Amino acid sequence: MAELILLWLKCIILYNAVDAVFEDQVGKFDWRQQYVGKVRFSHFDTHVQSSKKVIVATENNVFAALNTRTGELFWRHVDKSGPEGNIDALLHHGQDAILVVGNGRLLRSWDVNVGGLNWEIVLDSGSFQKACLVGQQGTVKHVAVLKKNIISLHYLSNGHQKWIENLPDSETVDYQTVYSGGNGEVYALGIVPHSHIVIIAYSTDDGEIIKQISVEAPWLSNIVASCAVIGQGVLICVDSATPSLYMYNLNPNMDDLQMTQIPLQSLGLEVAPDFQPVLVSHQPNSAHQPLSEFFLQLGPDNFLLLQFNNGQIVTLRDFKPALLVSFATTGEKTIAAVMSPKNKTACSINLFSAETGRRLLDTTLIFVMDPNGGKPEKIYIQPFLKKDDSVGYRAMVQTEDHTLTFIQQPGRVMWIREEALSDVVTMEMVDLPLTGTQAELEGEFGKKADGLMSMVFKRLSSQLILLQAWISHLWKLFYDARKPRSQVKNEVTIENLSRDEFNLQKMMVMVTASGKLFGIDSKTGSILWRHYLNDVPSNAAFKLMVQRTTAHFPHPPQCTLLIKDKDTGLTTLHVFNPIFGKKSHVTPPALPQPILQSLLLPLMDQDYAKVLLLVDDQYKVSAFPSTKNVLQQLQEMASSIFFYLVDSSQGRLSGYRLRTDLSTEQIWEVVIPMEIQRIVSVKGKRPNEHVHSQGRVMGDRSVLYKYLNPNLLAVVTESTDTHQERSFVGIILIDGVTGRIIHEAVQRKARGPVHIVHSENWVVYEYWSTKSRRNEFSVIELYEGMELYNSTVFSSLDRPHAPQVLQQSYIFPSAISTMEATLTEKGITSRHLLIGLPSGGILSLPKMFLDPRRPEIVSEQSREENLIPYAPELMIRTEWFINYNQSISRVRGIHTSPSGLESTCLVVAYGLDIYQTRVYPSKQFDVLKDDYDYMLISSVLLALFFATMISKRLAEVKLLNRAWR
Amino acid sequence: MWHRERILLLLAFVQSVLVVGWCFTEMEAGPGAAMSTQTNGDRFKIEGRAIVPGVKTQDWVSTARVLVDGEEHVGFLRTDGSFAVNDVPSGSYVVEVVTPTYRFEAVRVDITSKGKMRARLVNYIKTSEVIRQPYPLQIRSSGPHSYFMKRETWGWTDFLMNPMVMMMVLPLLIIVLLPKVVNTNDPEMRKEMEQSMNMLNPNPELPDVSELMTKLFSGSKGSSKAGSSSKGTRPAAKRRGKHSGASRAKKLSMQNNNADLDSWDQ
Repeated sequence: MAELILLWLKCIILYNAVDAVFEDQVGKFDWRQQYVGKVRFSHFDTHVQSSKKVIVATENNVFAALNTRTGELFWRHVDKSGPEGNIDALLHHGQDAILVVGNGRLLRSWDVNVGGLNWEIVLDSGSFQKACLVGQQGTVKHVAVLKKNIISLHYLSNGHQKWIENLPDSETVDYQTVYSGGNGEVYALGIVPHSHIVIIAYSTDDGEIIKQISVEAPWLSNIVASCAVIGQGVLICVDSATPSLYMYNLNPNMDDLQMTQIPLQSLGLEVAPDFQPVLVSHQPNSAHQPLSEFFLQLGPDNFLLLQFNNGQIVTLRDFKPALLVSFATTGEKTIAAVMSPKNKTACSINLFSAETGRRLLDTTLIFVMDPNGGKPEKIYIQPFLKKDDSVGYRAMVQTEDHTLTFIQQPGRVMWIREEALSDVVTMEMVDLPLTGTQAELEGEFGKKADGLMSMVFKRLSSQLILLQAWISHLWKLFYDARKPRSQVKNEVTIENLSRDEFNLQKMMVMVTASGKLFGIDSKTGSILWRHYLNDVPSNAAFKLMVQRTTAHFPHPPQCTLLIKDKDTGLTTLHVFNPIFGKKSHVTPPALPQPILQSLLLPLMDQDYAKVLLLVDDQYKVSAFPSTKNVLQQLQEMASSIFFYLVDSSQGRLSGYRLRTDLSTEQIWEVVIPMEIQRIVSVKGKRPNEHVHSQGRVMGDRSVLYKYLNPNLLAVVTESTDTHQERSFVGIILIDGVTGRIIHEAVQRKARGPVHIVHSENWVVYEYWSTKSRRNEFSVIELYEGMELYNSTVFSSLDRPHAPQVLQQSYIFPSAISTMEATLTEKGITSRHLLIGLPSGGILSLPKMFLDPRRPEIVSEQSREENLIPYAPELMIRTEWFINYNQSISRVRGIHTSPSGLESTCLVVAYGLDIYQTRVYPSKQFDVLKDDYDYMLISSVLLALFFATMISKRLAEVKLLNRAWR
Repeated sequence: MWHRERILLLLAFVQSVLVVGWCFTEMEAGPGAAMSTQTNGDRFKIEGRAIVPGVKTQDWVSTARVLVDGEEHVGFLRTDGSFAVNDVPSGSYVVEVVTPTYRFEAVRVDITSKGKMRARLVNYIKTSEVIRQPYPLQIRSSGPHSYFMKRETWGWTDFLMNPMVMMMVLPLLIIVLLPKVVNTNDPEMRKEMEQSMNMLNPNPELPDVSELMTKLFSGSKGSSKAGSSSKGTRPAAKRRGKHSGASRAKKLSMQNNNADLDSWDQ
């Protein structure tokens, strides 16, 4: 019976705690953007003339089809991240796309139309080199895969292996490429560097070696980099040392043992100094031989279109300057597209006939380069035949900043995809500035020196301004109402950006791994500014800090991005305005030494910029900005500035104190033995977090005070021993000022990855239990006890009593990708945990469920406290998904930010996709809900009003009648 | 602290259950790694099929994925709804089919080092419990995900069934119906009722809250109306004292002292 009641109670509580999205709220204040990542391979779907698809395979292990008209996704498949899901090759034939995945581990065939898998097979082990389609008598039926030591042939229809052969002498010969000209043979080309090329011809039918030959080539080191196959099976290589072209006919009837040398000088050509020439050939159809025309790149901006004709090389056209070239085929026509710089901000693309090198008329396309973007890197051409048999085309240009731009003639940009956003590293949400009128009103309260009369005048004038603004707003409403709805567009531009009533609209400043910064409007998701930093090292770590918010008009807001090279530790600062994206006039200090730690102090200089302290490897501290005022403040404050350093390679945590001369002094050190465990992460609390109540009221009306130490660090360690019986996860709570270990917990038979959230007086972490093979959550809460030691101020140095520690663990029925807690303006609203799941959902789990005081046996007191009875398993309810069916792939981070409304927390989840929404952890208690029934309340009021009128009248009549009786 | 010990106890219990479960897998996983037909080295393949009843596979496979232990291994669905996750080493895994639209139950798949497979229901609490499922997996969708809460819509039935409304309607009914049932013209009855009314109001000198309010809000102008609004229940003497300012009302109330009761009853 008791259990029944318990269950019933649980159900009720669960039902009440539901915080879900209503169906009519879809898209009202949330948006999602889906990305694919930096494109590695791309093919236009050509097997249907009217196809609108372009298929892309990316460096983020994503395979997708994009709509060429809109740039949106038709479908997308996200494989495992890391080398196991790496896409090595993409071959496209008809409506099938063949992928080689995971260094030649898997071969997959996809149906491009549906986006479903046709088949998947496992290939024999060996490092992948190259794959190609093999045609015979005009049809393509096979795919050949070349690995380090084997070559295999598979059917396109079902992936079955037709034959597999060991490559001869694979220990000495480096087989690099495979080629098929559609004549029933497959050639494997290998090389012994600086000695000779090995050419093996296999029969497509049974894998028998038709011919095996080795050709002297002492000048050659890499086939892929400097060779290509052209025409009727002629291998052509370029050597920069001699400099000359070498040719060899692969045709089995020929038995030359030498390559024919053609010095480039004999063609009147010259190689740019220190440049490795590159050959570009084109095979329009795998069932047929490649073109005899090919490009030869002789310098960074010099391309030549050459033709191989009866053993002779003819120069068709010299392109200088040219940035990029590409071949494309439609029907029977093959064209060569050349991109050449026009002026500083634009490039032009022109088409040339591949056979003759003649320029095609009316094929110029202007590509305007974004001054805040990168240089063009790759160009993909989608040609099509017009009705009059001339060639038209569209072009997709990929730039260094991972942007895809799709352009139509004569230069109309159809869409832009900012693929850099698939790899957001860190972000901040910055308040929008006030409008002119708002700033005027604020200004009224700023100065106090004015006299009474001028104050009155100011008051009146500001009221007038308000009235004016209101009337113009009304007029606009009226004006818009007359227009059809589709025409009314609230375009957000950088000019009309302003803060809304409740500060719900903010500027999302996003930093991506490629070094491109974005400013995104949080309401609509439109990109308002972008800025590409082109000198960012590939392995950089970023830290974004808001030094000055928009609150200090007329000083512009200021953000500082710290870019640190992970190898050298050298750091640069990029200071910019987060609203407009422009680089600030403030010159950041040059930092010659590697930087270990950075701190944003609550101190401000006379221009209201917060002070950033940087600690270098000599433990010297430098400040930015470093004006006299700042240095003076620092000297005064130095005794209360402490910082910590983590050296995870040596397992050392150390605390330092700032001296008045800006040198430092070590005050504590904790060494975690490296042989047993290693430090995985160190988490402090968020500096902008507010805690509203100091304690919790218990069932017996006493108060349990929270241990709110702002200097508390949660250190997560993992055992170096990964055996499932001996592995463990440790958590150490340590005071960052004194180095005092507040609490230590060990989870035995557990391993990472550990996800942790540290906030208020609690730490929630999640780990994998190796014993039970499940994910578990654990929560630690710290309490001071029934009495507060010093209720006015918290000092780490004066806290004699150790806090009470409560801990409880739960089972979680899914793996998790990331975790964050909601954050609100004043911290009154109850907290939820936002958990990113691998399935793409973001679960909003009330913190109430992770409360170590959840009782096993319900008592009167626990019921009064609203504690949920303990249940080992936490539930995942799809109603708690804040992003309903808008799955977010590979969630890497969740950023929460308070809004002007206490009930509302702004959430941005980023990974491969970006999703922005609002959550109301305690429902919308401070504004009318959007489903508030105005009709009902007004009709009830009216009805009551009339009822009183009528009944009053009736009563009067009755009284009168009675008086006359 | 006490419940922490409880958890420890509980964990110890779970552990003992687990040890039994673990023994099972260990026993089945004998030494040596012989190659089975579907193996590739010591890597295995999890196969199965996902079905959404009544929906064409083309409509949902492009958004579906098969996740093994989170994102540890990923598989994709073929155009006919079947799937195979390749390259999985031996062990115990939770396999789930994930789509944004349809809900599928997760299944635990155990693979021995020999490549023997079995599927069972996922039970995170009793991890060793075995309720067999078919292998190759047959995962049927149990319908679309329910992401949304229903809006509370306003309807007449909701309004009428509201306890507040019920509390108001029922006395009203009694008020209307009671005089019809009881004959008020009978003087004996009337006397009896009056007595019972007095019983209800034991202390006539104590000011009534509602009356206090009426007095407060009605002020000077609406006193006559106020008089009519609070008639009947209280003895006339008391009211007379109260509304002394309004002579007409006094007269009326004096005249209709008994009639008041009637009007209240009607």
